[in-house]
Amino acid sequence: MITTILIHWLLTLLFAPFFIGVITKVKAVIAGKIGPSLFQSYYDLARLSQKRSVYSSGVTWVFRLAPMIVLAAVLMVSLMIPIGIFKAPVQFAGDILVLVYLFALVRFFMIAGSLDTGFSMEGMGASREAFFSCLTEVTLFMNLLALGLLAHSISLSEMIGANYPVSWNLVGPSMLLIVASLFIVLLAENCRIPIDDPDTHLELTMIHEVMLLEHSGVDLAFMMYASAIKFLIFSSILVPIIIPVKSLDPFINLAIYLGGMTGLAVLVGCVETSMARLRLDRVRHLLLISFALAFFGLIVTWWRA
Amino acid sequence: MSSVLQLPWQVPFGIFTLCIDPLNIIFLIAIAVLVICAGVYGIGYMRFYQGKKSLVSHVSFYCIFVLTLLVIVSANNVILFLSAWEVMTISTFFLIIFNDEQESVRKAGFIYLVASHCATFCLFLMFFLMAHTAGSMNFDLIAKTSFPPMIAVTVFLLSLAGFGVKAGFLPLHIWLPHAHPAAPSHISALLSGIAIKMGIYGICRILWILGVLPDWCAYLLLGIGVVSGVMGVLYALGQHELKKLLAYHSVENIGIIALGLGVGLLGRNYHNSLITVLGFGGALLHVVNHAIFKGLLFLGAGSVIQQTHTGQIDRLGGLAKTMPLTSSLFMVGSLSICGLPLFNGFISEFLIYFGLFQGLFMLPLQGAVFCSLGIIALALMGALALACFTKVYGIVFSGEPRFDLKGEDPGMLMIIPMLVLAGLCIWIGLVPQTMVILTFLAGTYMSRISYFAVDLNIVMVPLSMVIGMSFLFLSLILGLVLLRRFMVGRKDMPVREAWRCGFTRCSPKMQYTSSSFACTIVEFVKNLLLVRSHGEEIKGAFPNKISLGTSVHDASDENIFRPLVKAMFVWSKNIDAGRVRYTQMYLMYIFLFLIFLLAWKLT
Repeated sequence: MITTILIHWLLTLLFAPFFIGVITKVKAVIAGKIGPSLFQSYYDLARLSQKRSVYSSGVTWVFRLAPMIVLAAVLMVSLMIPIGIFKAPVQFAGDILVLVYLFALVRFFMIAGSLDTGFSMEGMGASREAFFSCLTEVTLFMNLLALGLLAHSISLSEMIGANYPVSWNLVGPSMLLIVASLFIVLLAENCRIPIDDPDTHLELTMIHEVMLLEHSGVDLAFMMYASAIKFLIFSSILVPIIIPVKSLDPFINLAIYLGGMTGLAVLVGCVETSMARLRLDRVRHLLLISFALAFFGLIVTWWRA
Repeated sequence: MSSVLQLPWQVPFGIFTLCIDPLNIIFLIAIAVLVICAGVYGIGYMRFYQGKKSLVSHVSFYCIFVLTLLVIVSANNVILFLSAWEVMTISTFFLIIFNDEQESVRKAGFIYLVASHCATFCLFLMFFLMAHTAGSMNFDLIAKTSFPPMIAVTVFLLSLAGFGVKAGFLPLHIWLPHAHPAAPSHISALLSGIAIKMGIYGICRILWILGVLPDWCAYLLLGIGVVSGVMGVLYALGQHELKKLLAYHSVENIGIIALGLGVGLLGRNYHNSLITVLGFGGALLHVVNHAIFKGLLFLGAGSVIQQTHTGQIDRLGGLAKTMPLTSSLFMVGSLSICGLPLFNGFISEFLIYFGLFQGLFMLPLQGAVFCSLGIIALALMGALALACFTKVYGIVFSGEPRFDLKGEDPGMLMIIPMLVLAGLCIWIGLVPQTMVILTFLAGTYMSRISYFAVDLNIVMVPLSMVIGMSFLFLSLILGLVLLRRFMVGRKDMPVREAWRCGFTRCSPKMQYTSSSFACTIVEFVKNLLLVRSHGEEIKGAFPNKISLGTSVHDASDENIFRPLVKAMFVWSKNIDAGRVRYTQMYLMYIFLFLIFLLAWKLT
């Protein structure tokens, strides 16, 4: 048990930064630049982890402990996600609740940590994060509900491993709605354009990045690793639904998974380059669209299931 | 019900019998824990008033209050129950109006008294309807009667109205946000933790008595839960006063409890024992959990208010540095109330969610649709509660002091009760088996099925996985802390002024306030809340000094009850104007009534 968990964590930690690198590379290539190496995120993390942290005056234990809690919670969530051919070490009925509430815990400490610095810009980011996550969390839950109805289970591994070719045939429209909605949730939860811009640190319009402003050194490395793993988790949920192909050969399966993950990262990169960041009051419209998509997805699933 | 105490009591139809059964033991646990903690805290808290005010009446009413609480949950007789209920209402009134030199406090107490007595009217009707049908005033005998559907439904609706006021279902919750801030903090903790739970206890008892109810009653209860929960937390987000905010959160948590009861009732109607036990058990566990964490939060808020003499969130700030213990304990309460893993709120919400998910798969379409509605609402409540409590913790305890309001940790007499409550939050969060089994026993008792007839492994196995994951999570956090220490090595960790994007002259007053933090969400739902802004807009290149503020008002207070009361005033004035002021006239009325009574009795 312990070894499978450790192997799973190792795999997660190994793969996660790669896909962030893919997104950056795709963005650079489309913009006509060579761009940083695909492994740049690994270098960044290595460099940051060698640095010391500088704390701003007046922060309390909440700010200091937040990176550890955030990374630990995200790693716990990764245990419930199958990575390619490696089954999730932890699977039980109702693990989606633990997933959603661990993400909530992450958010709590992100927000509390950023308010701890007492700077209004971080407060702005925190306030937006709190608002947008209300919409995304509900949407995520509705999508999981629909998937659970299709798989007839409330365990994430069974939802992801469900027989989706049949579902695509039976309730294609509903699957399409769910995938579209989950994709928007993925963009929102991972702070990608058009909801949030992970590259600008000095804009008044950003959400997630502003909450990391005062973190530095090892703490920042932990935070960045956590967001990379979060992206891995969300794409690992989405990819097996979009590409419901399974073969008997585990290596082909692994190739399909990695190909799908890279493809999704490329897609996110394309979305990021092809559109601008939405104005803040428009973001909620986009999130409401994803909510509506999930809602109709759920209704169609009801109707056919 | 097994009777444990019987005393002679000379009241018609009244029998002084106290019983303990699996249902009321849950409430007794909650009462015992919170009454002791709040009492000890109260000793420290009321020291401030020593010599300024007589504390004798406060202490004696506290004792009466506690006594009546114990009698209410263990009474086996309608008359005994109602007497204790009335005495509790009145003793609570005197506890609330401790600071009776302030007009707002007197008003809050009055609102509480009026609301409670309107509710008691419904209870009288309900109990006498039941007693009339059953031919007995004892609960255990009433429970053996099978009620005709019409009467069962009437009793159920009356109990929702009567107990709903005490519990604080929307829109009957109007007394809560007035009474909680007015009372001393340890009394607010008891009001929110225990007194409103008496309403829940009453509904549980009625559900136990009425074995069969139509389906729509379950949907009604579920709907009440959803509306109270979501609206309660939205109102809470818009509040600027610490205790008022916590009061609205009680409405939210009562909503979660009602949601759980609704699920249980739904399961009972469809004869699905697993859903029943999960719904009732989850709701009852949330009763205990809410008593613990809300007690903790109110006591924490009390410490803040005692030290700084204000409960206005926007005036506070940076208290974590001078009140480290209080702030950490408040953090534990906040994490628990948001239902986050490792803490007790998560366990009860997990059970309710689990029941809803079981309903999704096992019930026919109609029930399943309501279950998915419940799931979505519960998720929304969770996210909003998180926004609300990060706001409270972040604004009150984090950052820098906005004004020159500083406090220190209160004395041990006030810290230890909070420590005990926080310890209980973590205990139920990490080792929930004892409480879960107790609540499941109560759940099976409420639905009158055998505990052993339910296949509880379906939920106990996932629960043990959750517990395992919690411990793994804790050790992982510890591991990461050690890893970090190792990575940092001997490097020094300088503390510098915050970077603040290069801003240099930041004043603490420029920090984000609670109104600005909540405004994104409050703006979004402004059609549901009564949001008012007062003050003027900034004009011109060199604006004058202006002030701008927003406040959220209670729609059920302003749009339902105020017009109602106003209409009643007008109506009674009209009656008064048309009345004939002769004594002889009144004598004739009495005479006519006597004749009517005689004639009625003769037939």
